[in-house]
Amino acid sequence: MRGRLEGFRLLRNPVWAEAKDSSNHGFSFREPVPTVRAEFRRPFPHIPKELCVAVLAAAPQAAPKPVLVRVGGGRTTPVTIVVPPGTRLTFQNTDPFKHRLYGVDIKTFLPAEQGQGAAREWTPSAPGVYEIRDEAAPSLRMWVIAEPNVASITYPSLKGEFSINVEQPGEYTVQAYFAGKKVGDAVPVKVDAADVDIRGAIRVMDQKTADAEEKASDEKAAKAPKAQDSK
Amino acid sequence: MLASRFWYVFLGLLVGVATFLLFLATSMYNRAGARAMGEALSSDSQVVNWYLSNDARQRSGQLIQFGIDGDIGRSLAKSNDNDQKVPDEAREKALAALKKVNAGIPADQAFDAVFLVDQGGRVVAHLGYEQASGNDDFELGGYPVVADALRGYIRDDTLVLDRIYRVVARPVEADTSQMPAGAIVGARILDDRFARELSSRTGAAIAFYTAGARVSSGAPETFNSAQLDQIVSDFSSLEGDEEYQAKGRSKVRTIAGMVGVQYSKLPGEAWKLGAGYAVAREPKAVAGPFGFFKAADDQDKANANVALAVAIALGAALIGIGFSLLEHTRPIHNFRLEVQKLAKGETDQLQPSRFRGAFRKIASDLNDGVDKILARGGGPRRGPADLQEVLGDLPAEPQMSAFSFPGENLPAAVSGGSGPHTAPLSTPKSLPTAPTNPRLPKPPAGRSATANLDSTMEAQPDVPSSGTPAVGNWSGGVPELAEWRAVYADFVALKQQCGENTDGFTYEKFETTLKKSRDKLMSGHGAKRVKFSVYVKEGKAALKATPLKD
Repeated sequence: MRGRLEGFRLLRNPVWAEAKDSSNHGFSFREPVPTVRAEFRRPFPHIPKELCVAVLAAAPQAAPKPVLVRVGGGRTTPVTIVVPPGTRLTFQNTDPFKHRLYGVDIKTFLPAEQGQGAAREWTPSAPGVYEIRDEAAPSLRMWVIAEPNVASITYPSLKGEFSINVEQPGEYTVQAYFAGKKVGDAVPVKVDAADVDIRGAIRVMDQKTADAEEKASDEKAAKAPKAQDSK
Repeated sequence: MLASRFWYVFLGLLVGVATFLLFLATSMYNRAGARAMGEALSSDSQVVNWYLSNDARQRSGQLIQFGIDGDIGRSLAKSNDNDQKVPDEAREKALAALKKVNAGIPADQAFDAVFLVDQGGRVVAHLGYEQASGNDDFELGGYPVVADALRGYIRDDTLVLDRIYRVVARPVEADTSQMPAGAIVGARILDDRFARELSSRTGAAIAFYTAGARVSSGAPETFNSAQLDQIVSDFSSLEGDEEYQAKGRSKVRTIAGMVGVQYSKLPGEAWKLGAGYAVAREPKAVAGPFGFFKAADDQDKANANVALAVAIALGAALIGIGFSLLEHTRPIHNFRLEVQKLAKGETDQLQPSRFRGAFRKIASDLNDGVDKILARGGGPRRGPADLQEVLGDLPAEPQMSAFSFPGENLPAAVSGGSGPHTAPLSTPKSLPTAPTNPRLPKPPAGRSATANLDSTMEAQPDVPSSGTPAVGNWSGGVPELAEWRAVYADFVALKQQCGENTDGFTYEKFETTLKKSRDKLMSGHGAKRVKFSVYVKEGKAALKATPLKD
């Protein structure tokens, strides 16, 4: 199954969007480089790690083999993942310093120190959306979507192109996930013995919605310096 | 005395006021010192904040050199073309380019570590961060500072990794029509070296901390850097500082009264991780009024008007001495002179009008007392009667041409002295010596002066056994005559000591004189007996008679 995503540059990485808000004290100065075009100056995600394309079957699927999640560089790889409940996730620290991962409101995933190269495991036991964070790196946020019917997942290239292998023929639905949420419409796909090309691109964000989000974010950021000045 | 007393009261009040002022000044000085310390700490904190921001801006300018390097741009392009792995060739070229460019950066603008990151956030090459050597999966793309640089922003951040890093990043552009090819990231470690550099440029004592521990510090030479260790004990209570949590800067806090501290959070990710810096100053305070002597430096002492202080002290002392002379010494002197005149008989009474204050009353009372005594016909004489006063002048030369000593057992010598002559019994050094004149009575040969006295006492049982003068104290009879002989011997010896001629001075004449004197005194004073003693008066031997009633 092959396909293509559109509008992904209109998505906003929540961590980076939050970081550009000066009221969060993430920097002492932040200035645009004039030679970089404005269209690139959005906190769009690095979709090969952050945008997960899942193929959902009509019936619940068995848990696959353990999935490796690398922890390093201020984020996890992948950032968003869709797995059937019961899938064991192995978090491995690839940074030369410690991390302390924990699940937000997850009693089975409490903060624990992970040294360089160390791994820890966690398994989402029930359907739902789980958020993983790091006490040692505020920028690290990961979302685990436990979806019983997920048959396979993949991540697109920087251009938004993706390909995914489904072992069993049948009726499926292609759904993109970003930051723990579904983005774009679900696309039904019938898989037979041959490769399937999904007609048209899957639009994960439209301009109107993105502009509204951007405007709201800018307004919030504009108020922040005044609030700081008033201190 | 009124002025003196007024002066004492004035001086007392002055000392009290001075003491009060000193305590007042101490309190004001300490309060002003605390306020100044608070203002200085706020200023220090602001200056450090500005310095950190300005330093990041200046260093970000150095990153341009990396961005315009052709090899770096090409290396990034090759890396971006490969989604799976950063090509080794790209790594090598990028590393060489980083080293070349980094070598050209001035030392005061140099970075401790430099990272070259491609569009995917992967680190293509890095310098100065050996911890990540050999780690092909090493990336930085998740950090907002890197993500922003990859999207066309220059900005700073403070990352808490294995250490605290001040980070600046900017995009590297290969084609301005495309998104940046990557980002270049420069980092400075907030270690002791950085803290010292920061301290030398801002003049503040500064310590960086994270996770409840001090990680580095720097302080001016005048500051005791050990004081910065105390901030560790203050971290627990810092969490309760609402201003610190809300605004990122605490109120001025004083730790154990030894050091004033203000905490500030570092901008960037470090803000959320509780990392920050503390500026510290030692409070300017004195323990008490005398603390000023310790706190004052040479300039303070030079500015003090010592001459005025000395002049005031001398002036106060002179005024006090003047009052003392006028109201104490001078009246007493005048009173003494007047009393001496009265004693000599030059005046019949004191003149109260010549005195002032209490002396006038004393003089008046004395006059009243004298008048009352005179009105009663005079009182009994309390002291020893002067024989000359009673009998008139004794003849300096004996009126008899010859006499003989009745015995050899009388004391024959006296010790020198100006008071009434005594014959000490217990002091061998002052025992009487034998007269040099062969015609005078002499002590028995081969016997000591003490033995002579002992023999006299044998004849006079009423004489005290020790420590009392050898005087005649009988009203009549043989013991009195024996004692008179002793007094005679003393008198003769004293006259010889005084260089007087004793030729012809016989005991018989002496005895006649004593009898006459004794009788007159006993009848005049109602005395039962009379003591006679010898003494030197105006360089000559003299006799004194003391009438006794018991």
